[in-house]
Amino acid sequence: MVIRWVTLADIRSYRALEWHPDPTVNLLVGPNGAGKTNLMEAIGYLPSLRSFRGVPDDGLISYEADSGVIRAGLGWGDNGHLVEIEIFRNRSRRVQVDRHRLRRASDLGEVIRTVTFLPEDVDLIKRGPGRRRDLLDEVAVQLWPVSALDQSEFAKALRQRNAFLKQRERDEVTLGVWDARLAQSAGRVLSRRVRAMELLQPEMERAYRDISTSDIHVDIEYRAEWVDKTDPTIPAGVYEKALADALLGTRHRDMERRLTLVGPHRDDPVLLLDGHDSRVHGSQGEQRTYALAIRLATQRVITEFVGVPPVLLLDDVFSELDRDRAHALAELLPDTQTFISSARPEDVPVTGREWRSHDGSVT
Amino acid sequence: MFEGPVQRLIDELGRLPGIGQKTAQRLAFHLVTVDDADARRLGQAVLDMRDQVGFCSRCFNVAAAEECAICRDPRRDTSIVCVVERPQDIVVVERTQEFRGRYHVLGGALSPIHGVGPGQLHIDELKQRIPDEGITEIIAATNPTVEGDTTAMYLAREFKPAGVKVTRLASGLPVGGDLDYADELTLGRALVGRSEL
Ligand SMILES: Nc1ncnc2c1ncn2[C@@H]1O[C@H](COP(=O)(O)OP(=O)(O)OP(=O)(O)O)[C@@H](O)[C@H]1O
Ligand SMILES: [Mg+2]
Ligand SMILES: [Zn+2]
Repeated sequence: MVIRWVTLADIRSYRALEWHPDPTVNLLVGPNGAGKTNLMEAIGYLPSLRSFRGVPDDGLISYEADSGVIRAGLGWGDNGHLVEIEIFRNRSRRVQVDRHRLRRASDLGEVIRTVTFLPEDVDLIKRGPGRRRDLLDEVAVQLWPVSALDQSEFAKALRQRNAFLKQRERDEVTLGVWDARLAQSAGRVLSRRVRAMELLQPEMERAYRDISTSDIHVDIEYRAEWVDKTDPTIPAGVYEKALADALLGTRHRDMERRLTLVGPHRDDPVLLLDGHDSRVHGSQGEQRTYALAIRLATQRVITEFVGVPPVLLLDDVFSELDRDRAHALAELLPDTQTFISSARPEDVPVTGREWRSHDGSVT
Repeated sequence: MFEGPVQRLIDELGRLPGIGQKTAQRLAFHLVTVDDADARRLGQAVLDMRDQVGFCSRCFNVAAAEECAICRDPRRDTSIVCVVERPQDIVVVERTQEFRGRYHVLGGALSPIHGVGPGQLHIDELKQRIPDEGITEIIAATNPTVEGDTTAMYLAREFKPAGVKVTRLASGLPVGGDLDYADELTLGRALVGRSEL
C-alpha cells in the first residue's frame, strides 16, 4: 500500500497543497504549529473517515472555508485507486473511490489501511477501558471491514434501548425486541474482539520483548460481567444468548437506572504485564513500551492477515521516548511507506526523505 | 438573494428530499423560462394530488379513493400481507412482480430516539385486519436497519401467538440502507427466500 500523492484544499492550515511523498520513509520536520500533525491527520482520515485527534469532521475544515477536500492517489496500475473526500460544515461528507460514490464507509478500509503511533497512545494503558475497547474494535475493522457495520449497529441499538428506558411508558414486548437486537449485534462485536485479541497477543509479546529486550509475558484479559469465558472458537450466537440472558437479569436495575448496565460497552480488556494489570502496576517506561508494542503488533497482524503492510504514521512519537526505546523502535519499523513528524529531527534516529512543513506548504 | 417569488420557489424546492441549493436554483430558473402552460401544469398537478390523494383506509398506501388500487384489486391474495415502513416501499416491492398479496404501511419503524413506539405506528390497524381478511402470513419488509429489524421482531412477537406466520426478507439486501437501495432482482430473490421469524 502506497500513497503516491495527496492534495488538500481548505484542510486546516492547508489552503491548497499538492504533495508527492516518497514511497518509503518520509520525515516531516518544522517548528511547532507548522502543520505537521494537520497533514498526518488528513492522511489518517483516509481509511477511517475519522480524525485521530478525535474531533468532529468540521474541525478539519480551514477556519474561513465551508468545505474541505482530501484527495489521494494510491498504489499503481490495476491496484491503483483514487480516493476523494469532501467534508462540509453543515451536511454529511461525500466519499468517492475511483469516482464512484462509496456505498459503505467500511469499504474504504479495503482500499487503504494505516496504523498510527501517537504520544497519547500511552493512554491506552493509563486510562479507562473505553480506549482499549476502541482499540480492539479498530483492529477488528482493519482485519474484517464488515465489522464496522456490526459496531455501528450495536451503538445504534444501544442508543435506542437507552432512549426507550428513559421513556415514561415502557412495555415489556418492546423492551424485549430491543434486547434481542442489541444482543445480536453485541455477540458479533464481542466475537470479533476476541478474535482480534487472539491475533494480537503473540505479536504484542514479541514486539514488547523486541523493544525492551526483557522476557516479560504480555497478555490481554477480557473482563466482561456478562460472559463466562471468551474464546475464539465460540460462535457469536453463544455470546448473543449470554447477553440476552444478562439483560433479563439486569432488567430491573436497567429500568430503575434507565440505562443499559451490561454489554460490550462496559467491558474492560485489561492489558497484563506478567499477569498484573499494567495500568496499576506498570512503570512509566513499561507503559510506554506497552503502547509501542500494541501499535507494532497491530501493524504486523494486519500485514500478516491482509498480505499488504499498512501505511505507518508516527506523529511526534520519538521526542517522547528515551534513547534506547527510540533506537529500538527505529530498528523495528517495518518496510512500508512511513510518515514520521517531529519538531526536533535530531530526536529521530531514522533516515528518510526530509520534508519541511511551513505556511501551508510542504517542500 | 433573488426576486421574492423566485427565491420563495428556490426555498420550497430546496426543502424537497435529495434536492440541494444548487439543484433548487437550476429547477427554479428552468421554471422561469419554460412555457407558461408547462409551469402551470406542474403547479396544477401538485394541487390536484393534494386535493385528490389521501391514504388508503385499509393499508395506509397512498390512494385516490377510500381504498388504494391494490386493496381494490380482487385478484390480490388477501391471506398474505407485506408490511412496509413507507408508501414508496410498496412501489419497490411491486416492481419485483414476486408478490401478489396486499400491503400494510406502518408509517415508520420503532425508534425511541425519535419517540416512535408501537403506538405511533399503524400496528393496531394491522391487528384488526387479521381476522377481517383472514390473514395467515405477514412478510415484514421493513428496512434492513437496526430500527427496521427491531420492528420486524416486534411484529413476530405480536402476531405469532395469534397463529400468524411472520417472515422476514432473506438476507442479501444491502444492510443499513433503505429498501429502495435494493435492485429488483435482489429484492425479488429476498422475497422468494424469506424465512420465518
Ligand atoms: N481548522 C483550521 N483551519 C486553519 N488553521 C488551523 C485549523 N486547525 C488548526 N489550524 C492551525 O494549524 C496549526 C497547528 O498545526 P499542527 O498541529 O499540524 O502543528 P504541528 O506542526 O504538528 O506542531 P507541533 O510540532 O506543535 O505538534 C495551528 O497554527 C493552528 O492555528
Ligand atoms: Mg503536531
Ligand atoms: Zn390499500
